[in-house]
Amino acid sequence: MFSEQAAPMAQGLLAPPSAEPPTFPRVPVSGYSDCSQPFQLGERGFSRQYAHIYAVRLAGMRPGLEQRARSLWGNGIALRKLSELQTGEKCCVVGTLFKSMQLQPSILQEISEEHNLVPQPPLPKYIQPSDELILEDELQRIKLEGAIDVQRLVTGTILAVYGCEQDDGRFLVEDHCFAGLPPPLPWNGPSSDRFVLLASGLGLGSVSGEALLSTQLLVDVVTGQLGAEGEQNCAAHITRVILAGNLLSQNTQSRDTINKAKYLTKKTQAASVEAVKMLDEILLQLCTSVPVDVMPGEFDPTNYTLPQQPLHRCMLPLASAYTTLRLVTNPYQASLDGVRFLGTSGQNISDIFKYSSMDDYLEILEWTLLAGHISPTAPDTLGCYPFYKSDPFILTECPHVYFCGNAPRFQSKLLQGKEGQRVLLVAVPDFSATQTACLVNLRDLSCQPITFSGFGADSED
Amino acid sequence: MADELYLENIDEFVTDQNRVVTYKWLSYTLGVHVNLAKQMLYDYVERKRKENSGAQLHVTYLVAGNLLQNGHVCHKVAVVREDKLEAMKSKLSTIASVHVYSVQKALLKDSSPLYNTDYDIVKTNLQHCSKFSAIRCAAAVPRPPREAPAAPAQSAQGQRDPGTASTVNGHGPPAAKGPPQQHRGIMGMFAAKAAARAQDAPKEAKAEPKEAPGVSAASSKPPTKNNIMNNFFGKAAMNKLKANSVPEQPKEEKEVGKPSVAVAETESSPNSAAEKPGKKAEPARIQQKDKKSKTKRVDRSDDEEERDAENVKKKRKRIKQLESDSSDEEDVPPSPTPEEERAPSPPPAPAPKAELEPASTEVSAAGRKRKRKRVLKSKMFIDEEEGCMGKAG
Repeated sequence: MFSEQAAPMAQGLLAPPSAEPPTFPRVPVSGYSDCSQPFQLGERGFSRQYAHIYAVRLAGMRPGLEQRARSLWGNGIALRKLSELQTGEKCCVVGTLFKSMQLQPSILQEISEEHNLVPQPPLPKYIQPSDELILEDELQRIKLEGAIDVQRLVTGTILAVYGCEQDDGRFLVEDHCFAGLPPPLPWNGPSSDRFVLLASGLGLGSVSGEALLSTQLLVDVVTGQLGAEGEQNCAAHITRVILAGNLLSQNTQSRDTINKAKYLTKKTQAASVEAVKMLDEILLQLCTSVPVDVMPGEFDPTNYTLPQQPLHRCMLPLASAYTTLRLVTNPYQASLDGVRFLGTSGQNISDIFKYSSMDDYLEILEWTLLAGHISPTAPDTLGCYPFYKSDPFILTECPHVYFCGNAPRFQSKLLQGKEGQRVLLVAVPDFSATQTACLVNLRDLSCQPITFSGFGADSED
Repeated sequence: MADELYLENIDEFVTDQNRVVTYKWLSYTLGVHVNLAKQMLYDYVERKRKENSGAQLHVTYLVAGNLLQNGHVCHKVAVVREDKLEAMKSKLSTIASVHVYSVQKALLKDSSPLYNTDYDIVKTNLQHCSKFSAIRCAAAVPRPPREAPAAPAQSAQGQRDPGTASTVNGHGPPAAKGPPQQHRGIMGMFAAKAAARAQDAPKEAKAEPKEAPGVSAASSKPPTKNNIMNNFFGKAAMNKLKANSVPEQPKEEKEVGKPSVAVAETESSPNSAAEKPGKKAEPARIQQKDKKSKTKRVDRSDDEEERDAENVKKKRKRIKQLESDSSDEEDVPPSPTPEEERAPSPPPAPAPKAELEPASTEVSAAGRKRKRKRVLKSKMFIDEEEGCMGKAG
């Protein structure tokens, strides 16, 4: 992308100073609209139980699932609720999935005195062959068996199963389906090259400084300081930078204040203070040159439950003086130049990773899109706000770019749907580990990773 | 030639000062476009090497281009030492750019000196860090400073929908406590008091912001806020100041400032000798503090510059005098006039008013004794209220 256009003038700067060097104007922002209002919480009350969110989720997705079931298994199939089931009758039931896992961390077990158990250490995956799937609807629940992959599915998914109830009270599944890709959005993309840079996991405040030069190189490429003229010209076509979470490193989360005595920690500053100052400076450099959207992540100073609210602008005094800085929620949805972006900082994907046999972040990302819900495991294993009116994580429209941050490596895929949906799935890698960011071309929904490196004592290249 | 000056400059930086001269550092130091700096460095290296082949110059280059990695084409941007330059260039399938990154005398083991140099020079030039860049962004304009007053207005409207909390964007500022109407009333009260009290324009202008910090922080932050507000109000005209300062206060307190603006403006006109009970909400207190207040206030009115120091001192004095004066104040009967004073102001509940008034007056301008007494009096009100609601307040 960049390279082909930039190649002719690649060596131009290996010359003595000649004419006045050109300055390229940044392509102007056209058609930006923030669509993440459902994720912005105003006054919050936590007195409600989480049962409501499951109820609205089922109520919200049921019509779509029933329609899909009819289209898959015939118009004449019987759609039954669990309370209306008759043994041996082939029917279709729509409900919420619950996976009972033995290894699932349970706070009740941890604090139970009878068991005298040490809380189990965090495992990469909590799945076991003995896990069971249970389908729940508004009133009842039933165990599922049959043509359904127990290991792969996670709690909280809304699905339709086709089969019949057995004599022993279990439901034998012959086929199942999810909500499928949401209806497509009209395409209004730009006709010329426009790029959006997706980066996540900057990891500032970490103990190691290897990624710092790479971060600086990233900022320099985007602001047009690095590179020869051709590359700077291409960089001027970057219309936006989206930082998808984990701007601070996990090291800033050390909670000495909890473990140590107060007199030892009274004068120590939280590690995140220095890191946020560094973040502010980096954001200032970016904001003077390009619009930036900053999404919070797992280790960032904002609330823990999804949807995470934007970072407060008081933490970023230098950068928030510019209108180009937008502090946005996680998940984030916006329309840039007619292209709809939807993405998270990766907590939803990594949570599904822990409770499912799926290993590939891109595969999980695609699966959430097909299941019609951004984060089905919330609120079971992922913290979530107790919504009661509607579930904002249900996918009602198919975005054009669907990304998740903090993936272990870069992956991308262009998904084509039956109703004309075209989705670019991007697993944005963790920058502090991979020094890689993603450049999405809005014209043709292609994505290219961009890697930065310095040279170290080991000098691999 | 003037053009050759840069060569001497670079020579001085590299050889004499033994610096790591990166293109960015050179660009900021000499005030030139980054591309020009890169070309200058290249030129310097070439000439130096031609002149003196034994010159100990180490150069790092930036190479960028396409690289096939893990099955997809990746755009790689790398800083490499000179000895690895060709190797990197051969790895890339297409080269997008090559230029000099830095020049230094010593051989670098790793890239951290490069990062440190760049970090330092950017840190000292944070205000115009895109000045010499090759890309100009027209959209990168600083926010107008008056955007803040709009936020409290929205927040008040958002608070009127407590039911739609969960998924509706309520614009709710998390710190907002209490019904907005009450606060507006209190702000109206403050504005009225501020308008009524001070005789001089600057004094009054300074009175208002000092009330506001009092409302919000009540004695911890006011000195600094006063300083900021003082600078602020040093410029504009008085009325404009008042109209603006009252919105500024809500900005800091996240309360609605509009009604108080209106009240302030209506009350600001009969301004001059604001001691007498021509003003509502003032007279009772003024009367009660007439003994000490008038003379002291006249004294204080002249001490604008020492106000901040005085405020701090006054606060401390106030705290000390609280114990001594409280006994005095308790004997003073709370006349019905305070109630009358408060009645005409926008209809808030008495309790929050009483709470906020002392806070405001604690930090009010010039720490006049009258205000100090107001503090005590209101505190007395609060105590009373908690006890038996017998007194006005």
